[in-house]
Amino acid sequence: MSLLLLLLVGCQKDYEAPVPYTFTNKPGAGKFTPAIRRAMEGVYRVTDGAGLFGDQVALKWTYTNEGTDTTHYLSVFTGLDAGFFNLEINAKTDSLAMAGYWRKLVNTRTGLARLAVRVRHSGRLQAFTGSLVEGDTLVMEGMYGENSTQPTQKLTLAYSRPLNRRPFSIMAHRSGGRTSDLLPASENSVEIIKLASRLGATGIEIDVRYTKDGVPILYHDNTLNLRLVQKNGLAGPVENYTYQQLSSLIRLINGEKIPTLEEALETVVNNTSLEFVWLDTKYIGPMDKVQAIQQKYRQKAILARRNLRIVIGLPSTDAVESYKALSDKENTPILCELDTSITRNLNARIWAPRWTLGPQTEEVKAMQAEGRTVFVWTLDEPEFIREFIAENSFDGILSNYSPVVAYYHYVDQ
Amino acid sequence: MAQRVPASEWPDQPEIYFPQAPVPGKWRMSIGAVFTTTPPELTEEIRVSVPAIDFNLQRGLTKHLFAVSRLQTQIVQSNLMLGLRWATPLTDRLYLAAGYDLTGWFGALQIKDVFNSQAYGVQSFPNLSVGYRLTRDLELTVKAEAIMDLYYRSKVGNLAVVYDRRQVNGVAFTFMLEQPFYNNRHVSVGFRAAYSNFNWQLWSLYDTFDRNLLYPQLIFGFIL
Repeated sequence: MSLLLLLLVGCQKDYEAPVPYTFTNKPGAGKFTPAIRRAMEGVYRVTDGAGLFGDQVALKWTYTNEGTDTTHYLSVFTGLDAGFFNLEINAKTDSLAMAGYWRKLVNTRTGLARLAVRVRHSGRLQAFTGSLVEGDTLVMEGMYGENSTQPTQKLTLAYSRPLNRRPFSIMAHRSGGRTSDLLPASENSVEIIKLASRLGATGIEIDVRYTKDGVPILYHDNTLNLRLVQKNGLAGPVENYTYQQLSSLIRLINGEKIPTLEEALETVVNNTSLEFVWLDTKYIGPMDKVQAIQQKYRQKAILARRNLRIVIGLPSTDAVESYKALSDKENTPILCELDTSITRNLNARIWAPRWTLGPQTEEVKAMQAEGRTVFVWTLDEPEFIREFIAENSFDGILSNYSPVVAYYHYVDQ
Repeated sequence: MAQRVPASEWPDQPEIYFPQAPVPGKWRMSIGAVFTTTPPELTEEIRVSVPAIDFNLQRGLTKHLFAVSRLQTQIVQSNLMLGLRWATPLTDRLYLAAGYDLTGWFGALQIKDVFNSQAYGVQSFPNLSVGYRLTRDLELTVKAEAIMDLYYRSKVGNLAVVYDRRQVNGVAFTFMLEQPFYNNRHVSVGFRAAYSNFNWQLWSLYDTFDRNLLYPQLIFGFIL
């Protein structure tokens, strides 16, 4: 019987989704001036490629910072199979061109993509120079392919309307996305934090634990395991190892180091446009170190003129007790995942119930009427994402599928 | 001594999985448990193996045709199967059956601050079984099933989603031994490996992967 099980497990397909495109990550926007980038953002009708990407897509620019350099990226969120495009400015051409890749998160389908910006003027397609007159329509024209083969399939997107501008938090679980979704960076890594906004996120949730010597780090699971880290011979809880040991002996599944909470927040402040960080309390014990780091980086964000909220999540009664034990709770924003009475009792400004409880419209409206923000977690099912967004009652959704949340939010009318 | 008796003269054994029709009008049944191990892709570091009570009831209709039914329940979620099998001996020892099963499953979770969810669905399982009588009282059955999704509906609070596209969900293979246990009591003991995109027992995890995952199951049943 064991032999049979081994045989069956051995025959299982090994799922991989390597990114077929190598980004140059060249700073700057090239010919894509702020006005052009603004004009490009919107909901587009898919005229060629609808079979693979759905009838409409949402285009959104994002950026990362490296010192004084800013690199711009275009994300395309599709309505099928948690699909998205990540494109960078193609500096090799003298037209408004982009290149990158597309991916479907529900499976392993991926491929190369190229797009150029055109304008339909008086019924004819022509180069876009940056200004639109009445009756003009922006058109993204290009090609896509499967895997690493050169793109040969036609892709045409025609502008239809602006993005939904309703304020809404799109929060990516585990710092940007799950390792099991075969993203190009590991969950809870500095690298996935830098990717998060390109995946549609406006904020991230990160999992905080303490090392043996009390350093707050990012790690989700209770133990070191091959799901998250490369083979290393170490086992057991991360809390059994010092930061030095983890730093020198452990690599996450895609080769990254386990980051400290400080490294993660440094990245958020200095390299991203993210507006929200949800520190999920995975540890049991004193909260003072996390509180100190939260306050330190809140100050850094203010100095950097960054609109950033860093909030401590309280998912359990243990976490509530740790919060209550803090000697000074000033400037310590919290998010309560427990019921409304505990949330009120703590005077948490944010209430975050599980999505599996349903929309809870009355409770949500009551909490909002008291000036609280209400998020829901961790919602990945695309049809339910669509329905929760259509309900129009929550202030944000935490998801492993931020491209799906982004799509349904931006196309919502 | 028993081995010298030709297989054609071996007495019929109590069986549930072995592809041989009961005598027309006769019932046969079993009760036991199914242990399903959750795929790491869904439950990550947590390994859950919640047993389901497993009850089988079958009735002979003709010499070759018999009706089958099966109830699996974990209290908060249950699965009822109804089906038909056509079975025939190929040799003294080798038997074959083709069947078609239809299952309806239902789950409801009401846990304070965690769940207010229900779901139900319909699946069908065209199947083929090959049985071999290894000895006069030991039978091996190998069964292959195609898993077809027919309908799925899930509700959280007052929101519901429905998927009614008919599609192949995966395949399953079962290896089952049926033999004496004690005091004239016979048992079915075996292993089923479903390689599929969805498993009713894990509806509450809301798996979004469009990938087939392995769901190993250990099956044990007392033939009544």
